[in-house]
Amino acid sequence: MSATRPRLAGVTTRFFKMSHTQHIIDRFLDGYGWNSTHHHPEMDLVSLYVDQVGADDLSRERAARHPAMKLCPTIAEALTLGGGKLAVDGVVLVGEHGTYPKNDRGQTKYPRYELFTGIVDVFRKSGRSVPVFNDKHLSWNWEWARKMYDTSREMGFAFQAGSSLPVTWRTPSVEMPMGARIREALCVCYGGVDSYDFHGLETIQCMVERRRGAETGVKWIQAYRGPDFWDALRNHVWPRELMDAALCRSHTLVPARAGFNDVFPSVEDMQRLVKDPVAYRYEHNDGLKCTMLLLSGLIRDFNFAAYVEGQSRPWSTQMYLPMPDGRTTLANFFSPLVNHMEKMYLTGKAQYPIERTLLTTGLTAAGVESLYRKGAKVETPHLAIRYQPTKESTYWRT
Amino acid sequence: MLTRREFIGAAAAAAAKGAQPKRIAIVTTIYRYLSHGQHMGDRFLVGYPYEGEWHKPDMKVVSLYVDQHPEGDLSGERAREFGFKVYPTIAETLRCGGGKLAVDAVLIIGEHGNYPRNEKGQILYPRYEFFEQCVKVFEQDGRVVPVYNDKHLSYSFDKAKSMVEASRRMKFPMLAGSSLPVTWRLPAIDLALGCRIDEALMVGEGGSDPMDFHALEGLQCMVERRGRGETGVKAVQMIEGDAVWDAGNAGRYSKDLLIAALSRSDTPLGPTVDDGRTQDLVGSGELPKLAKNPAAYFIEYRDGLRATLLMLNGALKDFNFAAQLHGVPDIQSTQFLLTPEPNVTYSACLMHKVEEMFATGVAPYPVDRTLLVSGILESCLTSNAQGHARLETPHLAVAYKAPVKSQFPAS
Repeated sequence: MSATRPRLAGVTTRFFKMSHTQHIIDRFLDGYGWNSTHHHPEMDLVSLYVDQVGADDLSRERAARHPAMKLCPTIAEALTLGGGKLAVDGVVLVGEHGTYPKNDRGQTKYPRYELFTGIVDVFRKSGRSVPVFNDKHLSWNWEWARKMYDTSREMGFAFQAGSSLPVTWRTPSVEMPMGARIREALCVCYGGVDSYDFHGLETIQCMVERRRGAETGVKWIQAYRGPDFWDALRNHVWPRELMDAALCRSHTLVPARAGFNDVFPSVEDMQRLVKDPVAYRYEHNDGLKCTMLLLSGLIRDFNFAAYVEGQSRPWSTQMYLPMPDGRTTLANFFSPLVNHMEKMYLTGKAQYPIERTLLTTGLTAAGVESLYRKGAKVETPHLAIRYQPTKESTYWRT
Repeated sequence: MLTRREFIGAAAAAAAKGAQPKRIAIVTTIYRYLSHGQHMGDRFLVGYPYEGEWHKPDMKVVSLYVDQHPEGDLSGERAREFGFKVYPTIAETLRCGGGKLAVDAVLIIGEHGNYPRNEKGQILYPRYEFFEQCVKVFEQDGRVVPVYNDKHLSYSFDKAKSMVEASRRMKFPMLAGSSLPVTWRLPAIDLALGCRIDEALMVGEGGSDPMDFHALEGLQCMVERRGRGETGVKAVQMIEGDAVWDAGNAGRYSKDLLIAALSRSDTPLGPTVDDGRTQDLVGSGELPKLAKNPAAYFIEYRDGLRATLLMLNGALKDFNFAAQLHGVPDIQSTQFLLTPEPNVTYSACLMHKVEEMFATGVAPYPVDRTLLVSGILESCLTSNAQGHARLETPHLAVAYKAPVKSQFPAS
């Protein structure tokens, strides 16, 4: 039996408590709650490459407790297990966290492309490739991200990537009807640029990709920050009604008034609470307009709203993250992410389109570019990315 | 339960008749930040999030009674801002200082505040006493209005029963209980109406008797959907300490159900807190190390169903349910999501049910659920105080039908 269990290699930047690596790798090693049991993946994580080992490192403790997992000093060794050829059936790439330089745009240069290149080098030398999961966006650099995508297509291996947001619980538990006509879509969320903006974009994209005609790509994007953001809000650059609907799905509205635990904020309240608001507004090639709002200081969750034809009022839900920032102890939104990874390793097929994350990767970089150019509209002909969504819903429902 | 459309329709019909907004009296123990009085009462003052809108009830709080005024009391401030009066007695509150009942609904929130405990550890919140004073006004003034009672009806089943009897005798709608039955579920499941349940189990945490009540009501709102409806409870027993693990090893409750319930938790403690790892609390043997003083509440229903509540302080911080349905291979399990402070949006879910009853005069689910749970809790705590004896509970032959429609947020 054990001979048929897929063997996986982990390739990561850093492994410390509450890092993405810890959340993901631990679920392969120690299992996780799933469908009414403590589920152990039907596969073995046999090797791990860690790019930076700090004082807070947990990979040593994990390797000691799980001796079947070998720590490897190079990517090649992790994939070949010391032999000359690829010796694993899947690769888990987690290039989040760690000390890496920033570029002039403020993007952290996480080495996802570099790690990916190390992986495909082994594939090439071995004349064989296996499925790869890439956590979060593909690369901070659009050209490199595109190259990662093209390489996976040329070499023909399953490639899955992205955020937990598309696959986590929703409150309420609802799915965008397939083929819906969507006029506008919006996400209110929180966190920093070149970080949680990506999660907000994936939140929107996993919904709007189900619209009539499917995905056609994005034409342009424009960012608003600081005073420009408040002007844009007052000038109705995005529909205030959608923003309000999304905020009404939040479980974490910071009360605008002392002594009240849950009050709806006025624009003045928001202005007082949100010190560094950011908006990305963009238009798809089929005319759909979307807006991603980072409202740190006002909320700590991800909420989606859209105008859907046939609905008299905004259609909305929250992508619920059980966040271990005091609210929970386990970041269980990694469980559906890992579960979809397992399915890919077992079937050799990506469970949702990599093009979604290719598009959101490009949108993140273009949003950052617009911010760098002080809110200039950035044309995005390179983001004419077409794809079909999965028919089956892939968010957490069981 | 009304659909949103029906609810809006009813409200619109009322508005079309030129009806004035319903007048509400709030009767509470305290009104301090994050007390139930405040976060539930405020929903009728400032509105609340509901189905992706900031919903403002078409109702007006006209009077308030507050039993205690601890430091941080907000009642005077609220009265000034929202234009109502705080009265010194419940009768005056319901009559708004006049000679006759002058409100259309009463919200009783007897939770929080400084009240003594009895020998069983129950906090003697004066819910029955508050309710009695409301009923007296109804009797004297010859008119009744809907009443919501937060949490269990009373620490005493006899008192709880007389409350429900009064509402039946005088024919006023009554709703009570916890937020757990009406909050979001992860996953968003309900048991099929009429299902056959082999066994059910709930895990929870927190002190008695606030949090065990919530857990028992979460359990009850699930199991009441079985068979031909609820028929009540035959016997209960509560045990504590290592006896709880022994009972599990002896098959008194299903380990598989325990594993299933724990699989829904987002808050395992111990090693997860230390270094973030996921845990199979049962398989690893860690559970007894973390839950040092567990408690088990065993419930034997009159129709033969056995259910268990495990309070596992030290092991987790959330409320999770599991059940084995007869002939269904997969265990059904879910977490009752208690959303974080300060918003505690689950209380908005509950106040929407209350608003629905105030608006329509029909309780969306039976108060008998809360009556039964009040009695189960009291008898369990009696069992605990009497050397963990199994107690027959002929008085808990409380029969009722579950609501046909699921009551947790689905849209």
